[in-house]
Amino acid sequence: MKQIKLSKIFFWLLLAVMTVIYLGPFLFSVSISFNAEGDVFSWPIKLLPEKWTLNNYKEAWEGLPFSTWLRNSAIITAVQTICNVFFASLAGFAFARLDFPGKNIIFSIFMASLMVPGIILLVPKFIILNEFGMINTYGGLIVPGLVSVVNIFLMKQFFETVPKDLEEAALIDGCSYFRIYWQIFLPVSKPALAAVAIYTFQGAWNEFMWPVIVSTTSDMFTLPVGMSFLKNEFSVNWPILMSGTIMISLPTLVIFLVFQRYFVEGVASSGLKE
Amino acid sequence: MKLSYPVVLVVLLAFASVTACSNKSDKMRFSSWVSSPVETELFKEVLTSFEKENPDFQYDFEPIPGNYSEKLQLMLGTNTAPDVFFLKGMLAPSYMSFNILNPLDELMAGEADFDQEDFFPELLRAFQKDGVQYGLPKDCSPYVLFYNKKQFREAGVDSMPTTWAELESAARQLTKDTDGDGKTDQFGLVIEPVMEMIMPFVYQNGGNFQNPDGSLGIADEPFIEAVEYYYGLYEKGVATIPTDAGQGWNGDTFGRGKAAMALSGGWLLPFLKENHPDLEYGVLPLPAGKQKATIAFTTALAMPKRTQYEADGWKLVSHLTGKEGMKQWTSQGLAFPSRKSVAVENGFYEDPVFSVFMESMEFARPFQVEYSERGFEEAVVALQAIFYTNKEPRQAMKDIAKRIAKYKLTR
Amino acid sequence: MSVFKSKRWEQARTAYLFIGFPVILFSIFTFIPIIFAFVISFFDWNLLIPDKVFIGLGNYIELFNDEVFLIAIKNTALYTVIVVPVQTILSLFLAFIMNQKLRGRTFFRTAFYIPAITSSVVTSIIFLWIYSKPGLLNYLLSLVGIEGTDWLTNPNTALFSIMALTIWSTSGYFMITFLAGLQNIPKSVYEAAAIDGASTWTQFWKITVPMVRPVTFFVVVLGLIGCFQVFDQIYVMSGGGPVNATTTMSYFVYNNSFKFFRLGYGAAGAIVLAIIIFIATWLQKKYFPSNPYQ
Repeated sequence: MKQIKLSKIFFWLLLAVMTVIYLGPFLFSVSISFNAEGDVFSWPIKLLPEKWTLNNYKEAWEGLPFSTWLRNSAIITAVQTICNVFFASLAGFAFARLDFPGKNIIFSIFMASLMVPGIILLVPKFIILNEFGMINTYGGLIVPGLVSVVNIFLMKQFFETVPKDLEEAALIDGCSYFRIYWQIFLPVSKPALAAVAIYTFQGAWNEFMWPVIVSTTSDMFTLPVGMSFLKNEFSVNWPILMSGTIMISLPTLVIFLVFQRYFVEGVASSGLKE
Repeated sequence: MKLSYPVVLVVLLAFASVTACSNKSDKMRFSSWVSSPVETELFKEVLTSFEKENPDFQYDFEPIPGNYSEKLQLMLGTNTAPDVFFLKGMLAPSYMSFNILNPLDELMAGEADFDQEDFFPELLRAFQKDGVQYGLPKDCSPYVLFYNKKQFREAGVDSMPTTWAELESAARQLTKDTDGDGKTDQFGLVIEPVMEMIMPFVYQNGGNFQNPDGSLGIADEPFIEAVEYYYGLYEKGVATIPTDAGQGWNGDTFGRGKAAMALSGGWLLPFLKENHPDLEYGVLPLPAGKQKATIAFTTALAMPKRTQYEADGWKLVSHLTGKEGMKQWTSQGLAFPSRKSVAVENGFYEDPVFSVFMESMEFARPFQVEYSERGFEEAVVALQAIFYTNKEPRQAMKDIAKRIAKYKLTR
Repeated sequence: MSVFKSKRWEQARTAYLFIGFPVILFSIFTFIPIIFAFVISFFDWNLLIPDKVFIGLGNYIELFNDEVFLIAIKNTALYTVIVVPVQTILSLFLAFIMNQKLRGRTFFRTAFYIPAITSSVVTSIIFLWIYSKPGLLNYLLSLVGIEGTDWLTNPNTALFSIMALTIWSTSGYFMITFLAGLQNIPKSVYEAAAIDGASTWTQFWKITVPMVRPVTFFVVVLGLIGCFQVFDQIYVMSGGGPVNATTTMSYFVYNNSFKFFRLGYGAAGAIVLAIIIFIATWLQKKYFPSNPYQ
């Protein structure tokens, strides 16, 4: 009996330590962001600021084109999320439920492309977009990310689990495939759609490598790109830098907390059984 | 809900293409980098007075934050470059060798009172290739020695260092363990493992990154000696580097009183005023080696070869590098005039701080090499190897020289 | 027959319409770029110079004589070899704990997942501060009497520091993936084992590990691909330094393409990286199949 208790204590201790490791850095940066004193390096390091202030947030917001970057990030993320949900589910439906010549080969090429490192595409994508005159435009930032292969795969896997009888009845009634997709499949696939939406949202919001190359002027920056440059300018002002990073992270955090359930379900339904 | 696929598709595509549309205006564009807020503010004032003088002048000002040079390069390569832009003196050789800048000689000749002779000749030469002028220096700043007056008093250093040996002994005197925990809290000097900061010592020792005949000079004796002296200060514990105290740059270390001396240009002045207003400091010309020398940083205004707004662009360039615009821009000593007459007019030769900078300009040289950036980066790696892995300076420079040689610009 | 045929034709036409947009997008931004990258890797391609010179295998030959590229391969390999196993084991372990009946499970799950949903730029900035010489990590070490180093400017620790950051931020993500796999294992299996007196530890090794093997495969493949391409953290935290200690292949490609502007040379580096990823995935598929009984 005593042994069980000991192992339990050990277990909870371990859990506590892990939680501190995973959350600590964030809590600490929150604490720094409220610190009124510029010097965050004085030892002993204080867990909580001695003087609290909201000024750092104010300065980060006012001193930087934060609202412009926020707007860019929001536009890009919104368009990419909507388009991904729509096109990925549509293509996923076609791959899961329709029969057509070349289906398997197209799908295999899609899947194989997942293995190609993104960095290889960087240079040619840049040159192609430049030919279209899309460098440093919303088009250049958004269009390459309108549909992702992973999302198509996710939707295909999900649609394959939908029972066949619904769709057969509709077919006999003479419904078009688009209506079957729109009125029968979409309503039953909310968890998968939510997963696609959240994945895309998170990926688009945090995307760094592509916008850092395509956006050349500050009015086209996204939040992560802007922040990475701030690091150079505010290298001496950690509190302002930290309040900026907190502000960037909040939207994803809120979305995740609200849609948590869908998220886990979505991953579960993505058919990792393979 | 009677939606059909084509309708949805059209709506989404329209949505996407609307957001894709860029609002490129048909005005002249001008880009600078983004430095401190104080500087940005002042620069905007200069632009405002330019606009007042030229009420019909239409242009867009698009500052580029962050990795300015990489972005500018991309824009030049994709024909989206601004019509007037800042050009770092250090990058001028490679840009000129790629033949992407607009020659300015005819434009200058067309302006009777431009007075080219007024510029510091070294600065003008930094933007010339085969006798053609491709950029005009809008300002400059040499490295001088900042020192902390209070710490000098406390350590009893009363003669200012004027030679390498004196610099080292002063630094030793100023290096202290103030709280007695066995660790140094105040260093004599703060240095950085970067090429720009070593170059003054190299020049003073009669060396150079690139010899006049074009060959690489970094494995030559004068260069190696300078590196050995420079690193020696750190190795002996009388100098520190900013990262050792978690700081981003030497100005911060100096401002916080962790080091009593620092090499810096004029940009440290507004920083200290803003962040450490109580600091008592003075400036000195750099101590001399075999000869007096220092490095000068300079920024030019340049235009891309393919600009469609040559006349407008020149109007802006000639204002900013002309006497009037430069006078306003340099009035506060954030940056120093590249024209001697402006320095005189601003009264910089009488000011105790500014005069040190202006006098240093007499023996200052811009740092430029005809090697690609990759070659320069290799040299920086060699310095890191010395500072972070205790690689012997002589060996490090010899090793790296072999690797850099192949990155010489060929045009 | 003809009705059936027209029905089939209609179905195919609809399908092409449905996958049309993704296929076009994929062609423009993935398929053509791959071929394009391959082509320009045989050229001396500098955007600033109008003439592009065909140099055959010149870029590839230069790559393998380029000390920095060889260091980049070594760094990338080391990075992958350490990060992939550690993050896989750690996330499986976390998922196993989260699959227990546990008070506050949602809280812990969220806590472990937060680093994964946070922008890599943000986590990099936070860890820049933690890793700096007077930063949090060294402070904590000093409490137990260890004098730390400047983690990111010390060539011996820089890459490992970035590895630790990556593991910290990705393990939560893969934990969720594993959790999905674990929830597919019937409870009865564990119950039967418990009746037989198997400890939790034994259950973990004898039931959990073998039964999530397909998920493990998935996690390892994703991990491999991610590690071979690590970029953001390097870009923000170390810029490839000190002394090239954190120059990875992706960073090398970026630097040569966009900083030194040698796009052909950069593309050649990317092609080599792609080949390495293909080989690694293929090896994994061959020697560690997702289902050993197939």
